[in-house]
Amino acid sequence: MRIVGRGSLRTLTAAFLALFLATVLATGVATYSASRAAIVRLIDRRIVTVSDELDDGLRPGDARELLARIDRLSRTRDTGDIGLELRDATGRRLGGNVALGRNLPPGFSTLRHRDGIAGLSEGRALVRDLGGGLVLTVVAETEPVDDFARLRLRNAIVGFGAIVLVVLGGTILFAFLIERRIARVRETAEAIIDGDLRARVPVNPADGAFAAQAMSFNRMLDRIATLMEGIAGVSHDIAHDLRLPLARLHSRLTLIAARAPTEAIREDLHGALAQCDDLLAMFAATLRITEIEGSDRRAGFARVDLAQLAHKVGEGMAAVADEGGHPLTIRADTPLFVDGDGRLLTQALVNLVENALRHTPTGTPVSIVATYRHGAAILEVVDRGPGIAATDVPLALRRFGRLEASRTTEGHGLGLPLVDAIARLHRGTLTLDDAGPGLAAALVLPLPKAR
Amino acid sequence: MDLLLVEDDAAYADTLAQELRALEHRVTIATNGVAALEAVARESFDAVILDRMLPQMEGTAVLQRLRESGATLPVLMLSALGRSVEKVEGLEAGADDYVVKPTPAPELDARLKALARARGWTERNGDTLRAGDITVSPTQLRAWRADVPLDLTKLELGLLTELARQPNMILTRAMLLERVWGYDFEPATNIVDAQVRMLRRKLTADGGDDPIVTKRGLGYMLRG
Repeated sequence: MRIVGRGSLRTLTAAFLALFLATVLATGVATYSASRAAIVRLIDRRIVTVSDELDDGLRPGDARELLARIDRLSRTRDTGDIGLELRDATGRRLGGNVALGRNLPPGFSTLRHRDGIAGLSEGRALVRDLGGGLVLTVVAETEPVDDFARLRLRNAIVGFGAIVLVVLGGTILFAFLIERRIARVRETAEAIIDGDLRARVPVNPADGAFAAQAMSFNRMLDRIATLMEGIAGVSHDIAHDLRLPLARLHSRLTLIAARAPTEAIREDLHGALAQCDDLLAMFAATLRITEIEGSDRRAGFARVDLAQLAHKVGEGMAAVADEGGHPLTIRADTPLFVDGDGRLLTQALVNLVENALRHTPTGTPVSIVATYRHGAAILEVVDRGPGIAATDVPLALRRFGRLEASRTTEGHGLGLPLVDAIARLHRGTLTLDDAGPGLAAALVLPLPKAR
Repeated sequence: MDLLLVEDDAAYADTLAQELRALEHRVTIATNGVAALEAVARESFDAVILDRMLPQMEGTAVLQRLRESGATLPVLMLSALGRSVEKVEGLEAGADDYVVKPTPAPELDARLKALARARGWTERNGDTLRAGDITVSPTQLRAWRADVPLDLTKLELGLLTELARQPNMILTRAMLLERVWGYDFEPATNIVDAQVRMLRRKLTADGGDDPIVTKRGLGYMLRG
């Protein structure tokens, strides 16, 4: 049960085949020895009968009569194949139609080719003391034809071999077919994990139970897709419907601010406008995450040089970093290519740099690094600020999750989840490590496959 | 400006039209593509605000028909948020600008004015841009104030070029982010403001008055 429970399809197939071969071999050996035993039994009975016949009514010690009987028997058709030899008590040969090369013990013995009886490769012999100084040996072949053993072995090999081949071929084919059908389901599941929610298992009606299974699986995926669309639709509608009044509020506040009677009122209105902007930014980030997770943006992937991207973002953010008193350095000396969405990678990097600028004290150095490490392309922002404790990382990556330390600073808790979504879209990861001191937030992206 | 607003969501169309009228535009509303094409054939407009998602005829199809009919007026497309791919499609279909719905009316106003002005500018198509005593040569990657060369970074030059291309015209932060930084998202920090302050310092280093006007909550303008 352990094998059945835990074994892979291949192990199970191999185990089954081994068991099958062992059974076939055991059956072959058993059949062979049973038939051999039966033949020996029959032959033994026959030679007993023959010796009884010869002995029947014979006067003790009448060698002449016995030799006459032997001669007669040798010339009779159905006993012509029996070997007979008569010896006296001292072992001297008195006559018979065979000459034994050795003295056999009384009772039954097995004869081989080496016993030197012409035409006999295997046989049985019965040695009987008939009394009166006469010892009779009756010999019969246990092989109806020459080389019977080899013939029988050949027949067994051919017969059982054919069965073994059929079963072996059938099992391997069966295992292969099952594996292929399982692979189709696995490929579909992997495509779904990879973001292609439209992937389905191909259904061949001839596949019977497998087709039914595939159809159930596909129905499940349809259901999940409907639910996902529902969720995406709802969040989209909510965001849209809430954005509309917000945009109206924004417009109205802007218009009022333009003709505000006093500077104080204008200041207040701009404060309100900034809050409006924050809310709009939250919706924008939520919708961007939904878009990245739900759509097929990979279709638009192109070769992107992360080093160039790092320099461009560094240049674009130099002024804002400078104003915050953060020395911003860029370490990206050699081109580093990935397949990706340049705009989204830019947004991700800008997000990481903004995180570093906002959550570290004035004067904290921040650097952007584009490098190759452990077979992956790394786009990283390292700061010398307070960092994030390892236990807080999951919270930092959760939507609207904000760490205690950042509650007082601005932000909506969607920055890192957005970067995480962008990393996953690129089949990469976002890692938040201790830079000792500080935080190293890295996009770890797969290198492009050779074209 | 004389505007044609093509939008099937009546409530949103009314609100937007009202806001645009408050900004001294004349607005005609069409609720579908056919009505929009008829309106353009009948009257002359300065620009069209076209929703991407329309019943019967898609916004891009309306735009294509419009361009096929020889209409060259600026078209600004509106789309729902969270469909960035549509932006590319919209621009490829011949839209002059593309914004995500709902955009505050002042942002639309600034963009429409910039579009109308851009028409005039492309027709002149001169290499050197002039705004007041500022001269920018985008092809030579150089700029001067009162004939004194300015030492600008590539990004600052890009920013000054955009502002000088349309002097006396407000460029919103979103417009500058798109055109100068190439960002299609709104950053959380005041990247544009910081960069403008930096540029301002360089422009006024020799003591001249500040040529950049801040329109609070909206954007910047270079005095012409």
